[in-house]
Amino acid sequence: MIATLTVAERQSAIALSMLVAFFGLIMMIAGSGDVLGVHGVIVLLFGLGFLGLVMSKYFEPEPPQERLTRYYDDPTKVGIVLSLGWAVVGMFFGVWVAALLAWPDLTLDAGWASFGRIRPVHTSGVIFGFGGNALIATSFHVLQRTTRARLPDQVTPWFVLIGYNLFCVIAASGYLMGVTQSKEYAEPEWYADLWLVVVWVTYFLLYLRTLQRRKEPHIYVANWYYMAFILVVAVLHIVNNLAVPISFGSAKSYSLFSGVQDAMTQWWYGHNAVAFFLTAGFLGMLYYYLPKRAGRPIFSYRLSIISFWGITFMYMWAGSHHLHYTALPQWVQTLGMTFSVVLLVPSWASAGNALATLNGAWDKVRDDATLRFMMVAAVFYGLSTFEGSFMAIRAVNSLSHYTDWTVGHVHAGALGWVAMITFGSLYALVPWMWKVERIYSPKLVEVHFWLALSGTIIYVFAMWNSGIIQGLMWRTYNDSGTLAFSFIESVVAMRPYYIARTVGGSLFLLGAIVAAYNVWMTIRMARLRGVTETGGTDEPVLPGAGAALQPGE
Amino acid sequence: MREFFHRKLERNAIGFVLAIILVSGIGGFVEIAPLFTIHETVEDAPDMRVYTPLELAGRNIYTREGCYACHSQMIRTLRDEVERYGPYSLAVESKYDHPMLWGSKRTGPDIARLGGKYSDAWHVAHLINPRDVVPQSVMPKYGWLMRNELKTDDLGKHLAAQRAVGVPYTDAMIANASADAYGQASPDSPYASGLSERYGEATNVRAFDGEPGRLTEMDAVVAYLQILGRLTDAAHRQAAAAGK
Amino acid sequence: MAEATRDPVTGRETTGHEWNGIEELDTPIPRVVLFFLAATTLFAIGYWLLMPAWPLGWTYTKGLLGNDQREIVTRQVQDAAAERASWTSRIAKASFAEIAADPALMRHVRDTGRTLFADNCAVCHGTEGKGGPGFPNLAAGSWLWGGTPEAIAETIRVGINSTAKDTRTAQMMAFGRDGVLQREQVLAVVSYVRSLSGQKLTETEQARVPAGKEVFAANCAACHGPEGKGMHDLGAPDLTDAHWIYGGDEQSVLNSVHGGRQGHMPSWEGRLSPTDIKLLALYVGTLSGDRK
Ligand code: HEC
Ligand code: HEC
Ligand code: HEC
Ligand code: HEM
Ligand code: HEM
Ligand SMILES: [Ca+2]
Ligand SMILES: [Ca+2]
Ligand SMILES: [Cu+2]
Repeated sequence: MIATLTVAERQSAIALSMLVAFFGLIMMIAGSGDVLGVHGVIVLLFGLGFLGLVMSKYFEPEPPQERLTRYYDDPTKVGIVLSLGWAVVGMFFGVWVAALLAWPDLTLDAGWASFGRIRPVHTSGVIFGFGGNALIATSFHVLQRTTRARLPDQVTPWFVLIGYNLFCVIAASGYLMGVTQSKEYAEPEWYADLWLVVVWVTYFLLYLRTLQRRKEPHIYVANWYYMAFILVVAVLHIVNNLAVPISFGSAKSYSLFSGVQDAMTQWWYGHNAVAFFLTAGFLGMLYYYLPKRAGRPIFSYRLSIISFWGITFMYMWAGSHHLHYTALPQWVQTLGMTFSVVLLVPSWASAGNALATLNGAWDKVRDDATLRFMMVAAVFYGLSTFEGSFMAIRAVNSLSHYTDWTVGHVHAGALGWVAMITFGSLYALVPWMWKVERIYSPKLVEVHFWLALSGTIIYVFAMWNSGIIQGLMWRTYNDSGTLAFSFIESVVAMRPYYIARTVGGSLFLLGAIVAAYNVWMTIRMARLRGVTETGGTDEPVLPGAGAALQPGE
Repeated sequence: MREFFHRKLERNAIGFVLAIILVSGIGGFVEIAPLFTIHETVEDAPDMRVYTPLELAGRNIYTREGCYACHSQMIRTLRDEVERYGPYSLAVESKYDHPMLWGSKRTGPDIARLGGKYSDAWHVAHLINPRDVVPQSVMPKYGWLMRNELKTDDLGKHLAAQRAVGVPYTDAMIANASADAYGQASPDSPYASGLSERYGEATNVRAFDGEPGRLTEMDAVVAYLQILGRLTDAAHRQAAAAGK
Repeated sequence: MAEATRDPVTGRETTGHEWNGIEELDTPIPRVVLFFLAATTLFAIGYWLLMPAWPLGWTYTKGLLGNDQREIVTRQVQDAAAERASWTSRIAKASFAEIAADPALMRHVRDTGRTLFADNCAVCHGTEGKGGPGFPNLAAGSWLWGGTPEAIAETIRVGINSTAKDTRTAQMMAFGRDGVLQREQVLAVVSYVRSLSGQKLTETEQARVPAGKEVFAANCAACHGPEGKGMHDLGAPDLTDAHWIYGGDEQSVLNSVHGGRQGHMPSWEGRLSPTDIKLLALYVGTLSGDRK
């Protein structure tokens, strides 16, 4: 991969690695005696590692000029592998967390292994590790294919991908050491937050630069979504993470906002992390891989416009539905609830647009598990957004809030929508990237599909049950007009569902492992065959260069 | 007409970016900015006090261990919550909480009004192994809190950073932060009196973990738990006034 | 760029754009989408008119219904209390004996007390009131401060060694640690105390009993009574029965005598209403009876 960099690019890679190593050194020295110092060591090693890697290939011959006639897909390939790696790690932690609620002593007598510390490893691992890497990898792919432009240079995409993973590593290792700001989905501390700003702004500029080089006059819908994802996440991240560190030698900081303003800012962020990270980005994915795989045109361009702007506008008002009946002023709750209800329309319009696109290709859905992943994802997207809008109604939320119903909703979205669309897209993408006709084993894709679907259904049904039972137990009154159940009785009542959830989660995890294996074997298969056999089929950038498109790409 | 406009827009990357920023920016602005300008958003409570250094350290450990993943600190305006947990939470009660710890999941009960509900000894036993005292509990064990000495040397910096974000700590509080933390958990030590001077007579000064000579993380967490809901009486006053 | 073509499956025209093979149909927005957009928007507008909704710089629109979540919950709690008053007022007014004699009232006591006890007391005393290490068994009939409902209610109200001003205080000094008794004396009195409840003693222990008896009379009887049957005025436990707060094995008793004991029971005044406290006192009384 490094051999494909030009000498000048190798030099900038070296400079960047040295810069990272240097910052690591500073963190190590300034933060000695603090967890910041440990993170300094990690950053230093990261920088030095990449420095060594680039140096070891420094004197290889330059890549031929001909590379410019091809898309630059190496970062996408690495991103796919990273995404699957994080999927297995993140979901393993998910199963562990799930098991702890049924068997609380199924852990070590050590801080790092306790529920409160590994839970964010799970959430960040799956959302940012698995989801984020998949988004970065596919966005690079989709962006180039739909603009017919090569990424403007070969170092920036690596900086984005590797820098982003450095952030993920800092985040996850930090949680295990107890470094957290407690803000859900924004837990990493100030220095990791700052680093992510650098990475993310670079990502945005890379995206924009490529768009500016496009050979297509119109920007395709997938790119609208990817762009909204990148932009809005940047704004959310910066505002919600404003904080004052206690010193530059300490990992600890205090959030700029407090109390009710902090709560609103946090859930403005938190809800829109869902909207723009877990929804907009993945809709971008859906808008490319689903029509590609189905071989069908998008059902309605005009519907795409309505959904896109509806989602972009309305989601941003909905965050206060996480704070119904709290000390947040009621007027904000009203806005959150009403916008959440209207939001259902563009959400269903997107899901409907995706499903209607499959008209004329249902036979493929039946036969092709990859396409079926995407179809089911669209269904779960519709389902979880309906559920979300329903739960955003104050009266419903009074029951569902604080209970496992929320967790069920989350995983209907996370497993059914986010993970399914990702797996579907990756199964489509992997053969294209490694230039083989098909994935190593379509049978295993089929196996994965059923594992994933049954795992999701078991998980979600278990949590619906437990959530609703929990909510009802808390508010049930006896004939005397006093509370019928104590809190601890509700804890006891959850146990069977927590066990069921662990089972469902294990099936889903097993599926992810099968996927990782299948992709790994596909890569090996491609390696063994050598590039020559099917090589050279990648699509040229220069318009009119005349080479054939790779089938299905 | 609109469609025509949109076809133009989708040919202009910068225009598209600006449109996204504009369209997505409105919601957050309209909902967040007025929370700083509308006075009644945060109730007045002259008796509201700040966390002592020991309580603040406890709060940081509470955050570190992720207790907020299972415990809410926000009693909603719903009958069953008020009857089970006490008066609904007011905004002012978390006025000095940077960040707030309202929580979003109740795997364990709400603890917004926990302060004073149980004894220090119970908390210590419960945190070391919840199942020793509550056999049905699914809460993790936190034995290391008793083993770890509390780090106090940088508490002054913590208070200074808190002041930078708006919590009214005085110079004296910042200067004496480490000593005050020690004094609060060692009632017979000379440091205890300065603490009451700075934070008020009502401050809990006890050997929270049962070992007055050693300042442990357990001291800090229990001191924090015992102050939950007791920084101000505003919620109780409001409930009493409404009851009449 | 591709020309607008017709899709053979749907018969619709495409928009004429193509991105690496992906095309879009020019299907008009389905009516239902517009309908639901209009319907939900109308709902939202209606809701905004009725409820507090829009910020206006220093204030916000209050809505035509004048709805306020805080007022509502306050009223709901009051209404519920008024509804319960049919029986709570009788609990508040009647004497313990009268309530205990009224099966209908006692049903309310059991129903309500069960949850109230589980949410507030069970973490220490166990869901069935059987106690745990350091926390007394309330179902054993072996009372520290007396088993009348009046005494129990008072304990609940003020607590024991609590932070309340008028708390009950139960302090047993650290005879060993504070050097009041020599090591042999402590061991002796431990053996004697264990003999009081008829426990099996080892021979060494047996040999210490007579000495222990003397130590006990001189140091312990003041609180635990000459026969070790405890004293309700001081909250000193009966040492002759099978019930122990901290355990009756040699080590536990040794710990009690060596280090002293001062259990902490919180005060519930202010947290629970007087009626709730009264009700709990009665409920606690049923804990031993109910099991039979
Ligand atoms: C896995 C979820 C979980 C985590 C994490 C957790 N708890 Fe709990 N907690 C519970 C459950 C369940 C209960 C109810 C059963 C019991 O009392 O143990 C509880 C009860 C409590 C209670 C008693 C509250 C009451 O009013 O009865 C306190 C205090 C408490 N936890 C404090 C903490 C602290 C402090 C931490 C972190 C250091 C923590 N908890 C972490 C689940 C959790
Ligand atoms: C923090 C733990 C704790 C909680 C919670 C608690 N208690 Fe206690 N309770 C104790 C301890 C400890 C004692 C014994 C004090 C002593 O050892 O002197 C006690 C003693 C009592 C006694 C006196 C027993 C006797 O023999 O005289 C009664 C009655 C009682 N508790 C009832 C309750 C009720 C009712 C509640 C709930 C409203 C409650 N307790 C909550 C710890 C607790
Ligand atoms: C000042 C009064 C006082 C004196 C003197 C006293 N005790 Fe106690 N003792 C108490 C009280 C009060 C308790 C209960 C404390 C509690 O519940 O936390 C107690 C508890 C005990 C217990 C624990 C009972 C259990 O159920 O676990 C033992 C054993 C005991 N005393 C033995 C002795 C012996 C032996 C002596 C003399 C050497 C002695 N006491 C002298 C007041 C006294
Ligand atoms: C193997 C599959 C999985 C299992 C077993 C699992 C399990 C869990 C468990 C036990 C929790 C904690 C719930 C609680 O605190 O009560 C949780 C939370 C969460 N998980 Fe998963 N999970 C899985 C997959 C995923 C995936 C793929 C995603 C996202 C793409 C995801 C996103 C989340 C989120 C966002 C939360 C936080 C929910 C909240 O705070 O309300 N999970 N998960
Ligand atoms: C129309 C779209 C949606 C709406 C209106 C919506 C609404 C809601 C509501 C009301 C809650 C519960 C808040 C609470 O009571 O605490 C919630 C929680 C959540 N939703 Fe959605 N939802 C939508 C779509 C989605 C999708 C597609 C996902 C994808 C994974 C998702 C992920 C989450 C997560 C992670 C949480 C948990 C937040 C937390 O408490 O940690 N939502 N959503
Ligand atoms: Ca952060
Ligand atoms: Ca101590
Ligand atoms: Cu939300």
